[in-house]
Amino acid sequence: MTSKLHAAPRALLVLAAVTFLLAGCGDGGSATGSDGATAKAGAGTVEGALRVPQDYKTIQKAVDAAKAGDLILVDEGTYNEAVDVTTADITIRGVNRNKVILDGQYKLENGIRVLDTDGVQVENMTATKYLSNGFFWTGSDRYRGSYLTATHNGDYGIYAFDAYHGQLDHSLGSGSPDAGFYIGECYKCDAVIDTVISEHNGLGYSGTNSGGDLFIVNSIFRKNRAGVVPNSGSYELCYPGRRNTIVGNTVYDNNNNEAPAIDVALLAQGNGILIAGSVDNIVERNLVFDHDRTGIAAVPFPEDDANDVAPPKSEWDRTCASTRDDEIPAEDASPGTILWHPYNNSIQDNVVSGSGLADLVSATLPSETVTVESLGNCFSGNTFTSTAPTDLETLSPCGGPTTGDWSKGAFDLIPLIADQAPAPPEDTYRNTPEPGDQPTMPNADTAPAKKFTRPAKVDVAAIKVPTKPKGA
Amino acid sequence: MTPARAERLKLRVWVAVGALAVVLAGLVAIQATNEPSKGASPPTTVGLAPVDPTPPTATPTRYTGPQGRVGQFVVRCPYTHSGSHDPIVHFGRAGRSHRHDFYGSAATNSTATIADLQAAPTTCDKSVDTAAYWQPTVYDHDRVVVPIEAHAYYRAAPGIPKESVRTMPAGLALIAGDQTATTPQPGEATGWTCGSNTVLSDKPPTCTADAPLHLVLTFQDCWDGVHLDSEDHTSHAAYSTDGRCPPSRPVSIPQLTVSVDFPIWGSGHDLRLASGNIYSAHGDFWNAWDPAGLDREIRSCIHRGAVCDLASNRAEEALFSGGG
Repeated sequence: MTSKLHAAPRALLVLAAVTFLLAGCGDGGSATGSDGATAKAGAGTVEGALRVPQDYKTIQKAVDAAKAGDLILVDEGTYNEAVDVTTADITIRGVNRNKVILDGQYKLENGIRVLDTDGVQVENMTATKYLSNGFFWTGSDRYRGSYLTATHNGDYGIYAFDAYHGQLDHSLGSGSPDAGFYIGECYKCDAVIDTVISEHNGLGYSGTNSGGDLFIVNSIFRKNRAGVVPNSGSYELCYPGRRNTIVGNTVYDNNNNEAPAIDVALLAQGNGILIAGSVDNIVERNLVFDHDRTGIAAVPFPEDDANDVAPPKSEWDRTCASTRDDEIPAEDASPGTILWHPYNNSIQDNVVSGSGLADLVSATLPSETVTVESLGNCFSGNTFTSTAPTDLETLSPCGGPTTGDWSKGAFDLIPLIADQAPAPPEDTYRNTPEPGDQPTMPNADTAPAKKFTRPAKVDVAAIKVPTKPKGA
Repeated sequence: MTPARAERLKLRVWVAVGALAVVLAGLVAIQATNEPSKGASPPTTVGLAPVDPTPPTATPTRYTGPQGRVGQFVVRCPYTHSGSHDPIVHFGRAGRSHRHDFYGSAATNSTATIADLQAAPTTCDKSVDTAAYWQPTVYDHDRVVVPIEAHAYYRAAPGIPKESVRTMPAGLALIAGDQTATTPQPGEATGWTCGSNTVLSDKPPTCTADAPLHLVLTFQDCWDGVHLDSEDHTSHAAYSTDGRCPPSRPVSIPQLTVSVDFPIWGSGHDLRLASGNIYSAHGDFWNAWDPAGLDREIRSCIHRGAVCDLASNRAEEALFSGGG
């Protein structure tokens, strides 16, 4: 049943991909004109390209031989490699997204790992069966992943940590117990996730302590345990997560009991867009439907045995780098369980339906100083049938005063916490559905590599609520 | 200025002073770093190092607080087996040791060699980590506590120039903590905590189901560059202080911190260790990594200052699992 449902959205994605390119949103990797028109797939006609396996037997050997500005063109084939990249400003590209396969055979850790190295672009290939991640940038700025497929990987599909000025587009992350896509520990990230599909994961999108010019747009998050889940925690640096812009996504049916899962995915299961203790986020014009629990919810994220207390709002403007060497005062270093409250989220003009508990939610576990009405989450212009508390758009309109009875229909977090799906076996990620062929990058074998300087600017205002995919 | 800030400044000054000295002292180490070990044979080593009658301070400078601050790689190694084996202290003499719980290579016993460990399956999530990690079995009201897993963190110790960290030779034996202690051990080579919190206690604190009891062991990050072991099993290695290794053990190696996860929370426990009372906490590491694999992680993650793995988003941190 599930595989039949895939065909229509895939056709839509092809359409979307073409539109994206025509609109000129892609920055690099675009077609060069007519001179490559006669080239055969896999011919590798880009002058000066380092070709695998023709010039170098392995991708790693080509990467090690490459210099800044080089294009590595990988021919069709299966590569049992874990590639480490420490050469800046190179492009690693497959000639065919569906036929250039990095296969970890459940023995290797990461398909491609970019280590503290800037300007590395990875394009048009598949990474599968890695114990950790498909594609991974750590400490690496100006990163780009485009036309990538990551499936059946043990932690994340496509993963950026402590990385800035990045773009992930036209890619698919599937079958990971953590997130299909993850951008974490950065502020301001200056990063874009555009036109991706994330399915059959524990979490469609996850990002801990990240945000600030972080755009998650025009993408599909479906059939994960939970959809889009930015969160906060003092177990890593740069808390709280803040200032993500989540616009124009199609988020549906994230209740998948058969998907692999880390613990947080079990907790978040059955929710579409779950703002879990992240703050100051913009959630607009998303199409969100068919969730067992909530469509769009701002909820607290409890952290047991925290390393620090939540910083006050006055510190939210600090960059991640400026907090890196902060010493945690002894009185704050072991606060026990703390609650990350979801403050100041703006949730407008979304179309939400078919939620088991409520379409729109603002909730926290109240304390002496924090109540639900004091969170400052606002709701306006959404299409919905139910909210918790009742009549949320009247209680807390965006730009308007907070008024009314917040106790009526208040959201009960306790069942959400207590009633969790059982943890699946650890190897569940090895048995998720195959994603099938995905749209391959146009002119992959002829387009020259272009230095990647920064993510494409997103015209947020121009994004409309997506139409419902056929068959969904 | 807050006391914490003053302390930090002080540390920075020390680090600055220490860094210069280490650059000089570490020249040998850097040379070695540029020539990564190849194959399974360890560097030339000559017998056991003699006991140092006046050993340097036996406490690590530790990282505390959130992860993600410095380059690291992390290996998760579920519990494999237990037995009265101690390949470092009682090699070849099964039954002479108190009972230990093992992680990593499935082959670890009283007679297995480094080659045996390397050839065996491992429970670690990095398949190249076939090393042996172990600690004395914990008893609760005289019942064996079966541990869950160990996380092994590899980093440059605080203040140590990351590029100076050299790979650990195959067969290197390290012991953190004092198995003969009957009162609280000085320093923080060992300590107990809940979950992944970094504030350590001498005695096991009362934990919750979401953040159960952990034993945290931090091993020596300075090595004499010659001996894989010593007569007292500690004199060939030492802890760095203020970002420098002592001249007698000038070679920086990764600071290994092992955090062992026990299914213990709540009150009503009566805990002791196979080695004695609860203060006798200690742990062992015997390096049987695939040498090329270990070398690659040190070069890729520690030298480059890249966060290659985090334990904080894994099962160890059972965030909000609702089990408590």
